[in-house]
Amino acid sequence: MLAFIARRGLLALLILFLAVSLLFAMIHMIPGDPANVILGPKASPELKAEISQRMGLDQPLLVQLGRFYTDLAQGNLGVDVFSDRPVFDIVFEQLPYTLVLVLAAIGGATLLGVPLGCFSAIRRNSLLDRLTAVLSVAFIAIPSFVVALYLLLWLAVKWRWFPAMGAGEDGDFMDQAHHLVLPAIALGLGWVGYIARLVRASMLEVMEENHIRTARAFGLSERTIIVHYALRIAVLPTVTILGMGIGTMLSGALFAEIIFSRPGIGKLLHEAVITRNYPVVMGSVLVTTAFFVLSTLVSDIINALLDPRLREDGGSS
Amino acid sequence: MQPGASILRQALTKWHPVGFKISKGSAPINRRNFLCQSSLATLAIAGGLPGMSWAVRGNQLHIRNYNDIVTLDPPFMVSGAEAVVAKAMLQCLVQFQRNGTWDTEPDAAEYFRQIDDTHYDFRLKPGQMFSNGFGEMTADDVKFSYERMIDPNRNALNSVDMGPLSHVQVHDRYSGTLVLNAPYAAFLTIAVAGSSGAILSRKAMESVGGRFNIEPPSSSGPYVFRQWQAKRKTVLERNPLWKGPDAAFDEIHIYAMTDNKAAETAFEAGQLNCAQISVESTDPFRKNMPPNSHLELYPSGRNYWLGMNQDNPSLQDIKVRQAIQWGIDVNAVVEAAWFGLAEPATGPIPRGMLGYREKTLVPPQGDPDKARALLKEAGVELPLRLRLDVNNDSLELTAVQVMQWSLKKVGIEVSIHAQDNGSFLNIGSEAAGDQWQDVQLFFQSFVGGGDPYYALVWWIKEQLGVWNWERFSSDEFDRLNHKALATTNEPERERMYWRMQDLLEESGSFRFITNGVMPQITRNTIKPAFLPDGYPILRGFRPVQPA
Repeated sequence: MLAFIARRGLLALLILFLAVSLLFAMIHMIPGDPANVILGPKASPELKAEISQRMGLDQPLLVQLGRFYTDLAQGNLGVDVFSDRPVFDIVFEQLPYTLVLVLAAIGGATLLGVPLGCFSAIRRNSLLDRLTAVLSVAFIAIPSFVVALYLLLWLAVKWRWFPAMGAGEDGDFMDQAHHLVLPAIALGLGWVGYIARLVRASMLEVMEENHIRTARAFGLSERTIIVHYALRIAVLPTVTILGMGIGTMLSGALFAEIIFSRPGIGKLLHEAVITRNYPVVMGSVLVTTAFFVLSTLVSDIINALLDPRLREDGGSS
Repeated sequence: MQPGASILRQALTKWHPVGFKISKGSAPINRRNFLCQSSLATLAIAGGLPGMSWAVRGNQLHIRNYNDIVTLDPPFMVSGAEAVVAKAMLQCLVQFQRNGTWDTEPDAAEYFRQIDDTHYDFRLKPGQMFSNGFGEMTADDVKFSYERMIDPNRNALNSVDMGPLSHVQVHDRYSGTLVLNAPYAAFLTIAVAGSSGAILSRKAMESVGGRFNIEPPSSSGPYVFRQWQAKRKTVLERNPLWKGPDAAFDEIHIYAMTDNKAAETAFEAGQLNCAQISVESTDPFRKNMPPNSHLELYPSGRNYWLGMNQDNPSLQDIKVRQAIQWGIDVNAVVEAAWFGLAEPATGPIPRGMLGYREKTLVPPQGDPDKARALLKEAGVELPLRLRLDVNNDSLELTAVQVMQWSLKKVGIEVSIHAQDNGSFLNIGSEAAGDQWQDVQLFFQSFVGGGDPYYALVWWIKEQLGVWNWERFSSDEFDRLNHKALATTNEPERERMYWRMQDLLEESGSFRFITNGVMPQITRNTIKPAFLPDGYPILRGFRPVQPA
């Protein structure tokens, strides 16, 4: 298992390096001058030159990339030249909001989607199954921002059950949870349907397997068979998808952060790209890419723990 | 108990035959208890329990700011969003009145007098205290703050606001003289009353090494800094040392909201009691006004215009440029993009500011026949194909689409190239390469300030290839710009700015569209205060009892 984790870890580092390098090049090739965008007409040529020099933009791209990795190796993401604050602080004060949002969305989607998928598989072709199918496809089909807008209009504006903006007061858990509900539903609703359909399909496949028939022949209860034998295998593809889902949601969180005026890494990155604030862009890109890679790695490891065969064949899942 | 809680409680009672009790000792953890308790938690989070209100409460002002703050240190502030916050905390010698004009009145100063073209005397009100124990404000603090702005070692962004400021002479504890190297007509509105003229405590600044980012080490205005949450909000609270008439609220929560729609929803949901809204939402809000609210329109002070690069081969003939001026129906553009809420501009200087022209040389409705005749005189082969660069913004895109339609009628086919702001702001810059040569038409906007100087300085020769993307070049314009900045005779100065705008228009390289509009929606329990360009004056906001 350790060898598997080491192999996967090295691969993850390589992916991270390539992805960040590629993104670095792409971002720096977009035309635009951060001093023009952020400082506007007041920026004198001397000030622009100073900003360019402090950002390292006067150097060739490869030199800038090299400097970025050198600083990174020392745990330094650079300084935002406009606010004079460390990029590390800027990024990591936003990251928890996005992580909480993503985990709440994916957690809620899993808690709803897995039982729905299970019930649908067990009660195949029943009314519940058909209803779940319709709802699942509807959840998948409705764009998240539409869900967000309707949640806002009904639950925040019309009935005022939930706040329409912000992330709640620091240190007030209930207030923060209260502010989390609508964005998490908007972000996670599509995944409820997706997970339900996935679990249903896997369960149907697993329920036809020989070991399930054998278990039934041994007289085990249906509940034991489903929970202990079928679901454990059926959930494997879902774990893999969840790993990628967390990564996808990290970028998808942007719309929720904008619509609900929540702080977060998506909004930070979006604004930094618009203003060409390269150090903040790279800090945000690095962190989101790292979490994407990490979540995929964790899902691989969980898969390997659940299914030992995956460790032996090199971890292809 | 609120309805949500009641419904869920009934459901839980039904589900559990003996009912459900909240917080009754340490119940054993089993599936049933877990489900009950997690349901209750969901209920609580859903806002079903009382005492979890998120709406505005108490003597607080909750207001939208269009962007987050980067720094509140006056020499380095980068946007008007920061000035809105800073001016609630920091005093200037004078401040803008709240009567919809750019007129000023004393703030920290007991008096502020212009002695001659280059000398301004001031005397501070005694007893104005800096927070955090940094003592009374003195003339030395004024000297420190002003000379810090122009310190060449700082290379400060806003040093340009101070113009030809030389130094500050301190006469005694409270009085002094601001000394300029040359006359500077914009000194009062831009330097003294603007956020660049904010007075900081020398002792306080020295205690933090000479510079701060977000939290001022000390301030003397009606409100003091309490908290900043990045990308969320800034909270100010009443300054207990403040002796003036302002500071009507215990707290002001200023939310950084870049998105208009999010601000509108937050206002409707009761979380804000004042917000700038989008132009397109103005009419729907008027027809379906949220309870206990009212809407006011302010000219935005943003100048929107169509620029033409007169060095581009297709536009070198002035007749072609004039044909474009005459071909565009500005009324139609304003009607479509600003829903008729804004008025057509007569130049970069908005109504209400010194130098505002009553009318343009080319009438707003244009004249397609005249445009066609000018194109014929120019001997241009039709259709003339031109490229129009524009910022990727829905309002601006609508505006250029109407222009595209107007120009098509006279034989000019315009292809629209929308770009994000970062790319767009580079197209006319010589420093960014040779791409400026390919620029033909562009739709540009810019926010000026409280003085006409800021509305027009961008077209002097020094700005060629910097912000002067039209490549407009006029000795007379440059001379007038210099002269207007040096004269303090207002009627004379006004005539100069009229002439300068005429020169811009006569060049054929400009079609002025509008100065925009800034709709602000406010609860009736608040009496707001805004600058003439629609920016809030936080210290002027007051709570009022609804009628």
